[in-house]
Amino acid sequence: MESGLFFRRKMLESLRQPAWIIMGLITPLLYLGLFTPLLNSLAGGPGFPPGHVLDVFVPGILVLIAFGAGMGAGWPVIWELDSGVIERLRVTPASRLAILLGTAARDIVMFVVPGAVVIVVATVAGFHAHWGGLVLLLVLLSLLTAACSAISSALGLALKQIGSLAAVVTGTQLPLTLLSGILLPLSLGPAWLRVLGHLNPMYYAVQAARDLANGTTGSPAVAFGFGITAAAAALAIWWGTAAYQRAMA
Amino acid sequence: MSAPPGAVRVAGLRKSFRVKDATIEAVAGVDLAVAEGEIFGLLGPNGAGKTTTLRILTTLLPADDGEAVVAGADVRRAPVLVRKRIGYVGQLGGADANATGRENLLLTGRLYGLTSAQAARRAAELLEVFDLSALAGRAVRTYSGGQKRRLEVALGIMHQPRVLFLDEPTTGLDPQNRANLWALLRDLREGGTTVFLTTHYLDEADQLCDRVAIVDHGTVIALGTPDELKDRYSGNAIHLTPDLPSSHLAGLARELGELAPVQRAAVEDEVIRLTVTDATRAMAAVFGLLAGRGTAVLGASVARPSLDDVFLNETGRTLRDTGVAA
Repeated sequence: MESGLFFRRKMLESLRQPAWIIMGLITPLLYLGLFTPLLNSLAGGPGFPPGHVLDVFVPGILVLIAFGAGMGAGWPVIWELDSGVIERLRVTPASRLAILLGTAARDIVMFVVPGAVVIVVATVAGFHAHWGGLVLLLVLLSLLTAACSAISSALGLALKQIGSLAAVVTGTQLPLTLLSGILLPLSLGPAWLRVLGHLNPMYYAVQAARDLANGTTGSPAVAFGFGITAAAAALAIWWGTAAYQRAMA
Repeated sequence: MSAPPGAVRVAGLRKSFRVKDATIEAVAGVDLAVAEGEIFGLLGPNGAGKTTTLRILTTLLPADDGEAVVAGADVRRAPVLVRKRIGYVGQLGGADANATGRENLLLTGRLYGLTSAQAARRAAELLEVFDLSALAGRAVRTYSGGQKRRLEVALGIMHQPRVLFLDEPTTGLDPQNRANLWALLRDLREGGTTVFLTTHYLDEADQLCDRVAIVDHGTVIALGTPDELKDRYSGNAIHLTPDLPSSHLAGLARELGELAPVQRAAVEDEVIRLTVTDATRAMAAVFGLLAGRGTAVLGASVARPSLDDVFLNETGRTLRDTGVAA
């Protein structure tokens, strides 16, 4: 119930920043519009899975949206630290978990809405939608969003400075996305790159996302994807809650 | 059954912080008791341990050692119970600037367990009392300093807490808003709420607070009503303006400090301030010394001691030296 109150508060915060919402919708569409033509000439080539280029790339875009929607959570946290909002909330009986979950729920909405728009637009452009798999895919990536949201909140609380948070988030974004095979399949790379990829939790989400988008729901990749992403989300939420509980100097 | 616990009871409270290689003892054994329905102030220079003490009492920081019972609940063992019974207005304020004043109040009310209807009623009541009704639908970002501070105090009492804690509540307020806030806090006391605040303003401690604890280096060095403190600790004060260049004042103060009835001598704003046991005897001795060295006097007065004299008496420093405003 408290989570609902915090969800409402965070939704209002987002809805009052239309620029943020518009960019959240436009960026994935730009990926579709600008990156797909580049991939077109690679499709069917070595290391590239068979099928329409969008069938390979749309799951990747959805993972990117989920990652971005979640990782944005830390910025307002720092602002709330500086203005004393978090300190004030910590003196209320409100559950620290609820503060974190309210934010994660808002971030899931901020993933699902642009994600659905991308799926619809991509379907019109030639993406073969397998609706059952896509529903599971949205569930999987909502878990990823929650994990990223909790990590971002925890990082915000730990680092306490916008500059530090920006450095960590942008600094990890490139290796995490490249090593998950979001933009280009990792199978294109040398062995060491693929080994590194297997150490990246997001890699498993991307593999599962590709299967689910194909309509393959029972594969080991899907099971791994759900297992690892759910574990990451649980760990991240535990960390974020602990960060809210910890005393601030 | 033991006696009613009062609003706040603290015994042997300690808290240290490690900064680089040094350990700083921010709170070094604080004992105090606050009765229900009083305005209690912690007065002291920056770094004296006021805010750390407040943060322990409001469950924001765990103490290293000692007992603290607030509104009948133990801070360490029952922090959630303490949180339900207290209100807190921090130095930073903590109103959500992007939300409206009313939204801030409603969310806070719901977090304390009020129903939507109860929260709406209480919010309307507080907006009225704090003269914020006209601004209730505007984002807090657009509020003036005084309006924002009033909203923050309203947030702190949304759930009618037994004890309201405020950390430096009037810092940054202009004199009129300051007077308004004092009046609001006195009204709260009339309604039975205990008010516990920290301040580094001498006049705030003196005029607003029923009782004051003066803290320095993490310990309480004096505790009582402002009048008691001034009577008990200071005796009387003599303020002396000799006809000397300011560079000579310190030397003269040292000489005067050696006279028997003079407990302490300090120079401040071109005035030599003496703390004395007996003003009449001291005056005679002081003028004897001045006549002996041929120093003319531009002004001399026997002053009722201030809380600053109490601090001076206990620590050998004035609060002003430590960066405290008058």
